[in-house]
Amino acid sequence: MYDIPPSTRSVVNGNCKISARKVDVYYGDNHAIKNVSADIADKTVTAFIGPSGCGKSTFLRCINRMNDTIDSAYMKGEILLDGQNIYDSSIDPVQLRARVGMVFQKPNPFPKSIYDNVAYGPKIHGMVRNKSELDDLVEQALRRGAIWDELKDRLNESGTGLSGGQQQRLCIARAVATEPEVLLMDEPCSALDPIATAQIEELIDELRQNYSVIIVTHSMQQAARVSQKTAFFHLGSLVEYNDTVQIFTNPQDSRTESYITGRIG
Amino acid sequence: MTDLSADMPPSFKQKPLTISDQRTRARNAAEKRFRLYGVAAITAGLVFLILLVFSIISNGLPAFKKTVIAIDFKLTTEQFETAEAALLKTRVYSDYFTQTLTHIITNSELNLEINSRSIERIIGKVGGTLRQFYRENRNMLNQPVHFDLPAASRIDRYFKGTFSRDGITKENRFIQVEDLDLVDALAEVGIIQQVFNWQFITGVDTGVDNPGGAGIGAAVLGSFMMMIVVLLLSLPIGVAASIYLQEFAPKNWFTDFIEVNISNLAAVPSIVFGILGLAIFIQFMHLPQSAPLVGGLVLTLMTLPTIIISTRASLRAVPPSIRDAALAVGASKMQAVFHHVLPLAMPGILTGTIIGLAQALGETAPLLLIGMVGFVARYPDSILGGFEGPNSALPAQIFNWASRSDAVFVEKAWGGIIILLIFLLSMNIVAVLLRRRFERRW
Repeated sequence: MYDIPPSTRSVVNGNCKISARKVDVYYGDNHAIKNVSADIADKTVTAFIGPSGCGKSTFLRCINRMNDTIDSAYMKGEILLDGQNIYDSSIDPVQLRARVGMVFQKPNPFPKSIYDNVAYGPKIHGMVRNKSELDDLVEQALRRGAIWDELKDRLNESGTGLSGGQQQRLCIARAVATEPEVLLMDEPCSALDPIATAQIEELIDELRQNYSVIIVTHSMQQAARVSQKTAFFHLGSLVEYNDTVQIFTNPQDSRTESYITGRIG
Repeated sequence: MTDLSADMPPSFKQKPLTISDQRTRARNAAEKRFRLYGVAAITAGLVFLILLVFSIISNGLPAFKKTVIAIDFKLTTEQFETAEAALLKTRVYSDYFTQTLTHIITNSELNLEINSRSIERIIGKVGGTLRQFYRENRNMLNQPVHFDLPAASRIDRYFKGTFSRDGITKENRFIQVEDLDLVDALAEVGIIQQVFNWQFITGVDTGVDNPGGAGIGAAVLGSFMMMIVVLLLSLPIGVAASIYLQEFAPKNWFTDFIEVNISNLAAVPSIVFGILGLAIFIQFMHLPQSAPLVGGLVLTLMTLPTIIISTRASLRAVPPSIRDAALAVGASKMQAVFHHVLPLAMPGILTGTIIGLAQALGETAPLLLIGMVGFVARYPDSILGGFEGPNSALPAQIFNWASRSDAVFVEKAWGGIIILLIFLLSMNIVAVLLRRRFERRW
């Protein structure tokens, strides 16, 4: 699929899954996100691109409230998931994070067995009633993570003993095991070699069938390869948000054009 | 880059790698000197350690041996009744033993001039042991029983090489040169022998008139009970406090203030904790004096800062990515901490706890203030009663013995140090084993 030029790829215009309304984020005195509003479609891969420190990871972490763990972080505006404000005081961030999974830049499997890594989420959410259901769920998650065939005989080995690419796919399997609706990926391939990156990208394209995937990436080629929608952030502002094809072939803003042609960033 | 190197001075470019210049030589010499300092420091440390271990072992080992008079002794019912009717009962038992020993020596092949005063002088405190034995085992009356009873303390020291014939004057009423001749002869036929001193390990403290019989068992028990109190209180309190401060508490001036004060508490001299314990636990709360419970409470106060500081350090050392991973699959903060962070921090927490306990075990000063240096000559009656009844502790007992005048007590103090070190070493071994059990990679 990587050989298909972006212009010929169709964009799935699914329902709006997440909508951000006038989001501002501060880290202490630092105004990291400035008045960002965006609608993110369901069953679509959306890429966030932009130079380092432009706020794309911060915005991503707002979507599952991971910024709550940073003491100095402070957020204004609202983010709606299926029409419900996730920053409402009645929302429990723990339940939200089961619906909005996240994969991090550096693979971070638990120092436990591969099986326990995947089974942890379903266990704490009480998603299974017995061991055989859990076994099925772990297998399903590992299959979706495209790693079942490699690991099915080594489920009791430590998750930290795998290669970087396997670890990252294990983390993806762990994230999908709780059956989320949205999958956030914060530069999932930046620590991986090109082959592992290709495997992950293929996986992201498959995951699009079931989830709304948001991926932060530094690689414009990667954004062009995997995403249908692309958002360009610069200095905390959302500069341009459009179909990936449009962004890469016909950018409206001069800053976007400078970035994708390599003049800034 | 190429433009830049062209501008460089030529001397910098064409430098032969085989010949080191002045600067490189100076740097290499500095490195060599630094390594030498390091080796010298380690060597000095090792020399002192070896000296320490050598002096402890050479001074302390004699405490594990004692000199006994090993003979068969027979007591008739008649003698028993006479002795029990007498005013100084143990004195009568001693006399019987002296008679038996005299009898054995006269009937043996030894050609010795028997001086009954000599025999009295070489026998240690035997009356009490004999009386206790026959009161408990009346069926052993009228038949020969083998006894290993202690020789006098000077005889004991004579065999251990810390007492010699030189300087014994005619006026000395404890020992004469002829006594030592008799002892040498008796040692040859095996009546006087050196045996392992179990009494030192299992026994209790004795009065100044019987240094040979003093044991450290009760003090070991007292220390053990204190360690149980310290472990049961300081581990849960310390770990809970650290987890709250490190993972849950908001970061503001108040938590900063608490943090600074915990660090300061770790540096407070232990005697301050002692006087605090005296004021709070004994004078205000009216807990019993000299009790392992109070000792344990005071040592808990002392150990808590150590445990909190090391626990927080090991919690901090757990990579934040593990917390993120747990939170991102929907674990609550508490689940993230207890399922993932705490197990990874466990080895560090255990190490900190053992260091704290080891410090507490060797602490003497606070125990002096709460009265744990008293003379405790018996074991507690029950386990629970032992916590609130008076007892001693290892370092306090050692301190106590070292300040007594009889040289045998000083020897016991060295022996006590060996026991203390063995106690400490076994605690450390337990810690290492637990560490192994909990250690995981990430």
